[in-house]
Amino acid sequence: MSRAQYRVGTWIGWGFFADLANGLALTFGYMFSRPVTMQYPDQEKWLPYPRYRGHHFLKRDEEGEIKCVACELCAQICPCDCIEVVPYEDENGKRHPAKFEIDTARCLFCGLCEDACPADAIALGQQYEFSSFSSRDLVIGRDDLLAKPGKAATGGGVVAARLNTKKDVLVETEETQGYDWWRNIRRT
Amino acid sequence: MELVVALGLIVFKVAFLIAILLLLPLPLTWLERKVAGHMQQRMGPMRVGWHGLLQPVADGIKLLTKEDHIPAEADRFLFKLAPILALAPPFVVFVAVPFGESVSVLGTEITLYVSNMNVALLFVFAVIGIEVYGVIFGGWAANSKYAVLGSLRTCAQMISYEIPMGFAVIGVVMLAQSMSLLDIVRAQADVWNVVYQPVGFFVFFVAGLAEAQRIPFDLAEAEGDLGAGFHTEYSGIRFAFFMVSEYAIVLLVSVLVVILFFGGWNGVLVPLPPLLWFVLKVAFFVYLFIWFRFTFPRYRYDQLMAIGWKVLLPLSMANIIITGVLLGAVAAP
Repeated sequence: MSRAQYRVGTWIGWGFFADLANGLALTFGYMFSRPVTMQYPDQEKWLPYPRYRGHHFLKRDEEGEIKCVACELCAQICPCDCIEVVPYEDENGKRHPAKFEIDTARCLFCGLCEDACPADAIALGQQYEFSSFSSRDLVIGRDDLLAKPGKAATGGGVVAARLNTKKDVLVETEETQGYDWWRNIRRT
Repeated sequence: MELVVALGLIVFKVAFLIAILLLLPLPLTWLERKVAGHMQQRMGPMRVGWHGLLQPVADGIKLLTKEDHIPAEADRFLFKLAPILALAPPFVVFVAVPFGESVSVLGTEITLYVSNMNVALLFVFAVIGIEVYGVIFGGWAANSKYAVLGSLRTCAQMISYEIPMGFAVIGVVMLAQSMSLLDIVRAQADVWNVVYQPVGFFVFFVAGLAEAQRIPFDLAEAEGDLGAGFHTEYSGIRFAFFMVSEYAIVLLVSVLVVILFFGGWNGVLVPLPPLLWFVLKVAFFVYLFIWFRFTFPRYRYDQLMAIGWKVLLPLSMANIIITGVLLGAVAAP
């Protein structure tokens, strides 16, 4: 088709509002496409990938002893100065933290404490739901950190959730790595 | 005794109409948000009630309990008057609008209209013109630059749209030889006016979009550039008045389009009850309004004026002349 014909065709199309009709058809088509909404607290929630940097946790060794040697390297490297460690020496002459507090209200979840730790004692886990009405509640002590869930083997998927969920739901998912965010948006 | 019954019937009809008009914005806001959500691949309201059905009720309670704030520098009288001035005309207009011929309840024929005025069309246009004052006063009284800009745009918009709108329906009046909306519908028993008056329908519908101040012609409230336009400073129940008024006008324009151009309660092919036909057609046009809103961008101020004066006005005038000539040619032999 020659250029002139094409131009005439475009003008005729404009005369009959072809462009407007195209737009209307598009939005009408989208009206019957599946929404991409994740109904987060009500029905489902996003389970982050294992590499995700969420809430910190402290690890134990094979004997159930706390791994941390209270070297305070994490407190030194912390860019927002939110870790406070007070060491003590037990009867075997081993150093352990008497106090290990992380102010998660100040923490920026950079994971430098995890990198700096020589004893592989602290890491950032998968948990991300720990909002609170009081910033005082966000200062997490040693025993709470030990009780936090560790690194999960799986992640990167949507799991069932309920609004009244108090505990951390860590459901093993089939769909682990490579969640297709565009599954409902992509149109052939 | 008969007078009392007749009066009681009219009072009942008016009360029923007001109740419907006041309650319809609730499902309409829900529908609008749902349609908006799904067109944008969201879900719309989901939390209050089943699929957010009770969301409008929650919104209503919120609006009723919110502080009714009047800005310090506002013109208090006009500020209070404006929402009422915006709300009342759409309600008054429905007095002249028929919804069907009549139904028989318990052996008595009850007409589905409050009054059958012989100048109903004129009445509709005269009263709906007052609604604009609500918008203009509201913007002016708030003493805010955004609100004033909104009402400024409304003035210009209304001047350029009331005229083509009025001209567009003259073709319909010529065909029906009457200004009574009832007679206009009766005249369309065989063929709907949209077949004879496609241009008139186009002009009327576009002007109706502007009249209802909906996208693509919602320059008065243009939330992108004016905050919320003329009702920027309004809150609480007064804001709710403007919202109800907006939906009432959307409904009114849909009803008028159906009555004037789409045969009112006359059905085609499928034999449905006339009232159901009417409701279905109106529902379609209300949906069209919502559909347009989430498809088209807003026209610029000068573009809007250009469309009004340079396209719609000549089109509607040509429509009148051609209709007249053709009517004369048909009647001549």
